[in-house]
Amino acid sequence: MRREALSRVELLQGTLDLLILRTLLAGPAHGHAVAKHIQRTSEDLLQVETGSLYPALHRLEAKGWIAPSWDLSEKGKRARFYRLTPLGRKQLTAERSKWEAFSRAMTLVLNPADQGTQ
Amino acid sequence: MNSFFRKLRWLTRRSGKEAELKEELQFHLEEEAKQRQEDGLTEDKARWAARRELGNLLVVEENTRAAWGWTRLEQLAFDAGYGLRQVRRNPAFSAIAIATLALGIGGIAAMFSAVDAVLIRPLPYGDADRLVMLWDDFTGEGRSGHMPAPAEWLEWRRHNVVFTDIAATQPGDATLSGDSEPEQVPARKATASLWSVLGVSPLIGRVFTEEEDEKGVRVAVISHGLWQRRYGGAPDVLGRKISVNDSPYEVIGVMPREFFFMPARDIDLWIPASFPAAMKTNFSWHDAQVVARLKPGVTLERAQESMAALSRQVTAKDFRGPHAVVVKPLREEMAGKTQTALIVLLCASAALLLIACVNLANLLMSRSTTRGREVALRTALGAERGRLVAQFLTESLVLAVLGAVAGLVLAMPAMRFLETLVPETMGRVRLVLDWRVLAFCSGVAMVATLIFGLAPALRGSRLAPQKGLREGGRGTAGARSHWLQHSLIVIETALAVVLLTSGGLLLQTFQQLRNTDLGIRSEKLLTFETPLFRYRDFDRRVAFVNAQLEQIRAIPGVVNAGAISRIPLTAGDQATFYLLAGQSRDNISRRQVALTRVVTRDYFHTIGARLREGRFFEIFDRRSESPVAIVNESFADRNFPGRSPLGARLKFGNLNEKGYWYTITGVVKEIRDRGVTEELKPTIYRLHEQANQSGDQPSGIVVRTAVEPAAIVSAVRQAIWSVDKNQPLWRVRTLEDIVDGQLSTPTQSTTLLSVFALLALLLASLGLYGVLSYAVTQRVNEIGVRMALGARSSEIPLHFGKRGLALTLTGLIIGLALAAIATRSMTSLLYGFRPEYVLTVTAVSFILLVVAALACFVPARRASRVDPVIALRSE
Repeated sequence: MRREALSRVELLQGTLDLLILRTLLAGPAHGHAVAKHIQRTSEDLLQVETGSLYPALHRLEAKGWIAPSWDLSEKGKRARFYRLTPLGRKQLTAERSKWEAFSRAMTLVLNPADQGTQ
Repeated sequence: MNSFFRKLRWLTRRSGKEAELKEELQFHLEEEAKQRQEDGLTEDKARWAARRELGNLLVVEENTRAAWGWTRLEQLAFDAGYGLRQVRRNPAFSAIAIATLALGIGGIAAMFSAVDAVLIRPLPYGDADRLVMLWDDFTGEGRSGHMPAPAEWLEWRRHNVVFTDIAATQPGDATLSGDSEPEQVPARKATASLWSVLGVSPLIGRVFTEEEDEKGVRVAVISHGLWQRRYGGAPDVLGRKISVNDSPYEVIGVMPREFFFMPARDIDLWIPASFPAAMKTNFSWHDAQVVARLKPGVTLERAQESMAALSRQVTAKDFRGPHAVVVKPLREEMAGKTQTALIVLLCASAALLLIACVNLANLLMSRSTTRGREVALRTALGAERGRLVAQFLTESLVLAVLGAVAGLVLAMPAMRFLETLVPETMGRVRLVLDWRVLAFCSGVAMVATLIFGLAPALRGSRLAPQKGLREGGRGTAGARSHWLQHSLIVIETALAVVLLTSGGLLLQTFQQLRNTDLGIRSEKLLTFETPLFRYRDFDRRVAFVNAQLEQIRAIPGVVNAGAISRIPLTAGDQATFYLLAGQSRDNISRRQVALTRVVTRDYFHTIGARLREGRFFEIFDRRSESPVAIVNESFADRNFPGRSPLGARLKFGNLNEKGYWYTITGVVKEIRDRGVTEELKPTIYRLHEQANQSGDQPSGIVVRTAVEPAAIVSAVRQAIWSVDKNQPLWRVRTLEDIVDGQLSTPTQSTTLLSVFALLALLLASLGLYGVLSYAVTQRVNEIGVRMALGARSSEIPLHFGKRGLALTLTGLIIGLALAAIATRSMTSLLYGFRPEYVLTVTAVSFILLVVAALACFVPARRASRVDPVIALRSE
């Protein structure tokens, strides 16, 4: 049986795009691999719903941040692979710094005591 | 742009993409299944788990497609196609829907084109919104918009701080002669500032300068119409000397075709005002129209305040005492009463459209319940609510667009009719379906779609699938749906009542206007004008006027002929002060003014005037130092209340020692000298040959005929030319033409509003009929059960009849309350009449109830004919 995560984190609005872009930074991957990668790396805390994964992939494609190509999977089946475009790379940097600023801000607000000791 | 092309490219590869998406999702399912198998599930269970994890495959596909873009547009096209098929599948329903909408949209489109032409479209002047007109505020004398005198506005021009400049024009109709047949043309004297104030320039040549105006140089600017008509559009008209009132004037410019300015669209000649010095300090010569341009940043209110203060200062020397001024936007001045008429009619057409929409909403709602099964099925198959709403709205939009197209076709003849509603003070307008009307129409169609489509769409899409399917396709509707449909019926009935009441009031007013006692027998009365500037000498004038009348009377078919200084009913507010015997010149009241008219002996007999007391002018009223005068009833009642004015003596116009003392010898019953719809004023009539008093001349001729007046026009011309072959005559029309012209705005607004009101009544009763018969259809089973249980067949129709009556009465009460508010905004269209509200309200209520009873009767009767056996079998 698959291990059910004890506590699963709801994906924040808009973070799926960032996760997909980051995952594709490692190299081209098909949709299923992207989902599994996010799930694994987040230690099963993040579960990507298929219902939102494919619309997201196609949306990013429409924006020109990722590009598709048909290739053979590890098991020799035809699959649609996505890779990061230069435009997507730029977008990733931007989104990432935005997210880092946001998360820093959240930490600062949630742990105000730290500030005193610094 | 880039993404646009990307989308476009995708669109072309559409079918390929569909296949790819299917393959991609299939691959995902297989991968997932494989993984689950590796985790220990059997092949079957793994596949099912993967499938479950993915969720509704169709929805995922749909959502993914949405990410491609364009899908909204595709959906729209698809839904529109579906909508069109629906239209064809239900021809009866569609025809009613489209016809209803066509009436609503057509009406409002036609009204909009007129409102646009008169009230919205920019006037042909530079920055026309900054132009205002200035009038004397004689509220103390019961007149607020009076023409200013030169002594006033010359000072205003010098000292004001709110206008960039001020210009004035004065009447100055002119006879053109010499180069071809004598022709009388409407002309205006104008200050040179007119052109810069209006911000206009001539088509060719130039306009006159301040210096030319000052020095009295004889130059003329002519209209495009006159240039084409009289000078064949020749460019060498510039520099040509033309004879204006027997004085040579040089043509220096031609205005563009679209140029016009107050007070009428057909002014052909503009010449410098060139006031003589004496005029410039004159406080009593009130005949100028003054236009001014607001300085940038100055508001109307500020100008009003500043000018009122300035005017009080300027008029401190005026014998009338200081008074304020009225500053009015030029547009408002030009649109006049038409403005209210147009706005009322636009509101009426909007109300009609609203009724049409409400009606259609009800129809669609009835239909949406019968479409419940379709909706339930689609919901069960995963259609989202938003998607269904969008589909229903698109179908409504299809109807609205078809309705709008049909409406525009209806609007075209209506626009021809509305063209005549454009006021005389504005340029001739041809109302056309231009992009403004089309844009307005598209907007209206869209708004209408929301109004009539939204409620049915929301309602129709809410149906729970299990319920809809369980009902096995029979229409259902809960209590809520009745509530909504009933309110809609009440709304449309109320709107129809508002329109009917307003229409009824206008109709009454119109009736009263038509029945106004003019003091004249108006049938078979020909009128025209013969300018007498060439007869400045008293004796020559008397001889000429009498001779031409003699010639006219000799024409076969002519009963009588007379002359007066102003053709009756054609306004002219030229009032003068008068002095009664015994009064001192120094303490006459500012209100002691009367209209004066100079007439020939046969004038009163010719127009068919009646006497209250005394006598008309007689053959023995010869030239005399103690002439006689006839006054009207207003004059007698004001100055001699309760006693006879006969024998009383008065002076007017010239109040000093040299002025004649006139003896009142008759009181004539009121003649509507100022116009059909205008209020009566005290008037004094004198005989032209009795005393040489300067001022008015008997240039207006009235001819009573036994035959059709049009038949003798050329004979009349010949008769006059036999006395003086250079005598121009113009403004030839019958008195009935004059009356019709003055009643054209009330005639048209009454006709249009009545049409709107009747259509509203028709639509509202159709709506009531529709809802009731729908209710009967829906409750056939219930009726069947009741009848099977012994309800008498008379109780059933009573039940439905009662409901219809309750709805109608509610609508009637709300409508009458709304009408009371609405009619307050149209008081200016009632021309000071106080129509019988009770009569109108009673009539409207009666008509509405009768029509509603008919609308209820048919469905109610159908209910009573329900055969319980058949009704129950359908269960």
